Amino acid sequence: MSPETITVLASIPLIAGGVGGARLLRRAWGDRTARRPLWIIGGWAVLAALVFASAFWLGPARGPFIAVTLISVCVLLVVSWGMERRTARGRAERSLAPEPSNRGAKAWRGWLRALLAGPIGMIAAMGTAIAFVAFCPGAAETRLVLGGLLAPLLWGAAMAWTLADDKILRATAVLVGVSLATFAAAMLKGF
Amino acid sequence: MKDNRLDPAPKKAGRPIWPKVPAGFVRSVLAGHSALGLAFAALIYLVCFSGSVAVFAREFQRWEQPNATPIAAVTPAALQTAMEQAIARSSTTVEHVRILPPTPDLPRLTVSTDADGVEHTYAADAAGRLGDEGEAVWTEFMVLLHTALHLPRAWGGFVVGLTGVALLSSLISGVLAHPRVFKDAFHLRWGGAKRLQEADLHNRAGVWALPFHVIVSLTGALLGLSTLIVGILALAMFQGDTSKAYALFVPVIPDDPRPAVAPPNLAAAIETAQRLAPDARPTFISIEHPAEQGQTVVVNVAKPNRVMAGSNLYFDGQGRLLNISRTAEPNLGQKILASLGPLHFGWFGGIVVKIAYGLLGLALTAVTASGVAIWLARRRDKGRPAPRWERIWIGAVWSQPLAFAASALIVLGLSSTAASTPLLVWGLVTGTTLGLSVWVEPARLSRILRLVSAVALGLVVLTHLVRHGAHYEDSAAWAMNGALAAIAALLAWTVLRPAIRRTSQAATAEQTRAT
Repeated sequence: MSPETITVLASIPLIAGGVGGARLLRRAWGDRTARRPLWIIGGWAVLAALVFASAFWLGPARGPFIAVTLISVCVLLVVSWGMERRTARGRAERSLAPEPSNRGAKAWRGWLRALLAGPIGMIAAMGTAIAFVAFCPGAAETRLVLGGLLAPLLWGAAMAWTLADDKILRATAVLVGVSLATFAAAMLKGF
Repeated sequence: MKDNRLDPAPKKAGRPIWPKVPAGFVRSVLAGHSALGLAFAALIYLVCFSGSVAVFAREFQRWEQPNATPIAAVTPAALQTAMEQAIARSSTTVEHVRILPPTPDLPRLTVSTDADGVEHTYAADAAGRLGDEGEAVWTEFMVLLHTALHLPRAWGGFVVGLTGVALLSSLISGVLAHPRVFKDAFHLRWGGAKRLQEADLHNRAGVWALPFHVIVSLTGALLGLSTLIVGILALAMFQGDTSKAYALFVPVIPDDPRPAVAPPNLAAAIETAQRLAPDARPTFISIEHPAEQGQTVVVNVAKPNRVMAGSNLYFDGQGRLLNISRTAEPNLGQKILASLGPLHFGWFGGIVVKIAYGLLGLALTAVTASGVAIWLARRRDKGRPAPRWERIWIGAVWSQPLAFAASALIVLGLSSTAASTPLLVWGLVTGTTLGLSVWVEPARLSRILRLVSAVALGLVVLTHLVRHGAHYEDSAAWAMNGALAAIAALLAWTVLRPAIRRTSQAATAEQTRAT
């Protein structure tokens, strides 16, 4: 049997199990009784078992990636099956959703925030990634690739933080400090 | 009488397991999430939508060239023939030959040459005999739109990579700003308050597909920003010499520009590769400088049940293995690097994973569209509506299925198409839709664009059938036409079903009044 056929066949229990696990979790969500933890544990146990089993069926790295992908689709299917249809009213309904904080509209703060989220955040993230490459033990290729993955992840985190933090000067000081320290340390250590 | 011992009253659930997030923190993170989302909304939307289509690039290539007979496997001798014929067809010295041997998702033999910066692509039969030159123009357009937005490669890659970082950042802040992640885990309330409907769609599709969203945004950011990352890394660690950073992954091939006596012995190289890795199959072959004595054959071989694209084996002109080849098991870094592309595009688990990637990609596209819709609905609820932006956003969102369908329709309709034609059509349709959207009420605009997109997709299928006389050598063309027709029907259904329901309700009400 070809690997492609095996993958298609293995996807059948993965999809069935994914829908089953998601239905258990949905039941837990709608159940306000003491049995709720059982549904939660049961649902997550089914999903975890599928990820674990897929490593044996479809390869130790490939299997879990396939399982996680299919499980996401299954849960979204279960969510859409439980869709609640409502009728639109003329006036706006009161919302329980949290509102974003209302910041002052000073232009310099906006520019500084954009600089922090953009180039300064990028430099700080790159500096940290390069320091990781310089100081982390292991094969050169592994250090470089992990450093490469860290860079966009840290930049994204820096972006999220600087755009959220109301104390913008604190964010500036931290990012500039991190950039200087990490680049200097990496250049002193070398590759 | 009811026995309470057998049916005890249900107990109340315990305390919530998720810690309460301070409201001030949530409000601050939401402000950042909104600002970033609005700044990058259009770019993220375009990259996500085109990415959802690009998952099926190989299937679209087969659909665009349906008269090529599928080939399951080729012999080393056939590969040798294909390479020699491709070199012979060039009037100038060929610098590189790239060969794509048949794989289960692209069962055809494709050869391309690069001479003086001009690239020619040919399809070959199972014996390696070259056919006419021909590229899948629309597929190329669609993939390049996703990977570089048709900008110069370095700039386009940077913009797409930056979009990936913005998406990654939005995912981080989105999770932090979602205190009701468990409380609302399965809520999908549709048709009531606009803001609640969009928020439910945004949060459910965002949270339950989070592993996928993180994987594609992180791999996309790294793939797009690789030039920048390697450049800065080299600046800090290798005194600015980027070649030293690349040399860690791609061995340096010794150069010998003296003219070669004969083309490389590709057949011998393939036979050696098959002997070294009997359970693997060649997925990509590159011949570097075939006209020089420094000619080198690079064979990428992929093992089954792996995510990674494969490992490279290097051969000299006589087909002998060069000692720069790494025949040992790749280390973690090499494995991760070779897995980035397959993980990003969903090319590691056959058609099932591709369909899942397409659906999850559309879910991420919907998350982006609904994010802006929430902001617009919030403004309206607070008495500060932005009607022009509401129209423009609806126009931007629904212009893309139409622009993609229109560009495919033109490519199919014309007998020969320049590579730039689909881009021009896509730009024209997108621009016109955005321009016209300013004058049309959002709900009506959405209905019109969905209906026109459905008609355009239907015409794409019809034109394909007419152009090729419904006679396809490759059955994938039927599958793709079926999928496109189903999408067209689904789009039309979303418009026509509510209209039919309204008409039916009005008729029932009229009948009730009459009786």
